[in-house]
Amino acid sequence: MSGQMNSILCSVATRGRYFTTLPLVLNAIINQTRQPDKLIVFDDNDNPQDMRKEMIYSYFFQMLDIKGIPWEWRFADKKGQHHIHQKANTEGYDFVWRVDDDAIPEPEVLDNLFYWIAFEDNVGAVGGSVLTPPYMPDTSQVTGLIDKINQEPNIQWGVIKKAKEVEHLHCTFLYRAMVHDYNLGLSRVAHREETLFTYGLHQKGYKILAVPHATTWHMKNPQGGIRMESNAALYEHDERIFNNILACRDKTIVVLNCGRGDHIVFKHILPEIKNAMVFSCYQDIIPGNTIADAMNYFGDIDQWNIYKKMDQWKWKDSLDSAFRKMYL
Amino acid sequence: MIIIAPYAQKLRTGKLNPKNYPYWKELIAMIDEPIIQVGVEGEEQLVNDFRKNLSMNELCALLKECRTWISCDSFLQHLGWDQGKKGIVLWGPSDPLIFGHPENINLLKDRSYLVKNQFLWWEATEHQNERFVEPHIVLEYLKE
Repeated sequence: MSGQMNSILCSVATRGRYFTTLPLVLNAIINQTRQPDKLIVFDDNDNPQDMRKEMIYSYFFQMLDIKGIPWEWRFADKKGQHHIHQKANTEGYDFVWRVDDDAIPEPEVLDNLFYWIAFEDNVGAVGGSVLTPPYMPDTSQVTGLIDKINQEPNIQWGVIKKAKEVEHLHCTFLYRAMVHDYNLGLSRVAHREETLFTYGLHQKGYKILAVPHATTWHMKNPQGGIRMESNAALYEHDERIFNNILACRDKTIVVLNCGRGDHIVFKHILPEIKNAMVFSCYQDIIPGNTIADAMNYFGDIDQWNIYKKMDQWKWKDSLDSAFRKMYL
Repeated sequence: MIIIAPYAQKLRTGKLNPKNYPYWKELIAMIDEPIIQVGVEGEEQLVNDFRKNLSMNELCALLKECRTWISCDSFLQHLGWDQGKKGIVLWGPSDPLIFGHPENINLLKDRSYLVKNQFLWWEATEHQNERFVEPHIVLEYLKE
């Protein structure tokens, strides 16, 4: 937990890349022109090692100490990178810069991303180019709209020459923490997790920006990686959830997985919610779809857990106001 | 006639719900008007007229008929508020500023008895009698 204003956590999720691209990523983070307030490496390896014993890493850890960047090497629980990102999201920092373990940022990336998000409260996430040579599509005409996701390349795959508002980002970006949750209902491959996450920020009214002068080199490594999984069924599962969420994009999803009295309180707010699609426990109070439907449809319904949200928000006001904050 | 809803939802661990008011028997003995208890199967019967598992419509009809109602922090305090019938809520560890309605009479002994984290499962909180107001205090408000 940071007590500073505009604090930035840099989060790296890693698996199977101790001795390939991860050292390059850490070196690039250490040498940013703007330092993060903390670095956490989430180690998702099946057999995690004590990297302090490795010469290069011992140098990295000393460099971090000398530069005054607090760091932590945390062993993750191997449930997939969306779980790791959600942990980072709720660490108590204002912003999280998520960096893949094969994506090497140029030195000024964090500084430039921060410039776009720090001074405007309505920017939810900002990302730069993520280049994977030799594939370098011209993305100057890319819309970045979610509707076009299957028809156009991602705007970050090409050189971004001017800032553009989009609806989703991928791979690596800086985002405003604790505004939106990662979908923990995705499988361990977490296919589409960053698209769903950034699109969720967009749906909450935040701007999502693709900006110039913030290039990361994506040294796609066929070995290792946080999505080191070839089971097609897992990708299909996640794609189904992704498509279900997109199918509801014009609706306000309401999931009332809470007590009977809470339903009564919520009933007074429901008329104010535009185009609500309701999933509830007590159909005699608020008719709609069931909670089982919601779990089947969206995978994870924790992002609508009003009690969890009130806890996260350190809530002191009424339950009615908490529902209003969540849905209006 | 007054309605009482003595018990909050049963906990899955079988432990006593910390929101349950501990002095119902003493309070009931002090009340000299007809009482109807509402609740669900498995709850202890405290008065002769115990109506279990009522539907929403039946509960609303009963609320219309009653002079007032008394409840711990449970469903009835919300339904009474929803139906525009003022009642008395007996608070212990949960915070009436978060979960209550100012239209009701919210009797809280002292805010120092509230649990620090209001949003955890109630299984994590022990029941303590001293958190709740004495029955004679409830009676004063009931007579108003």
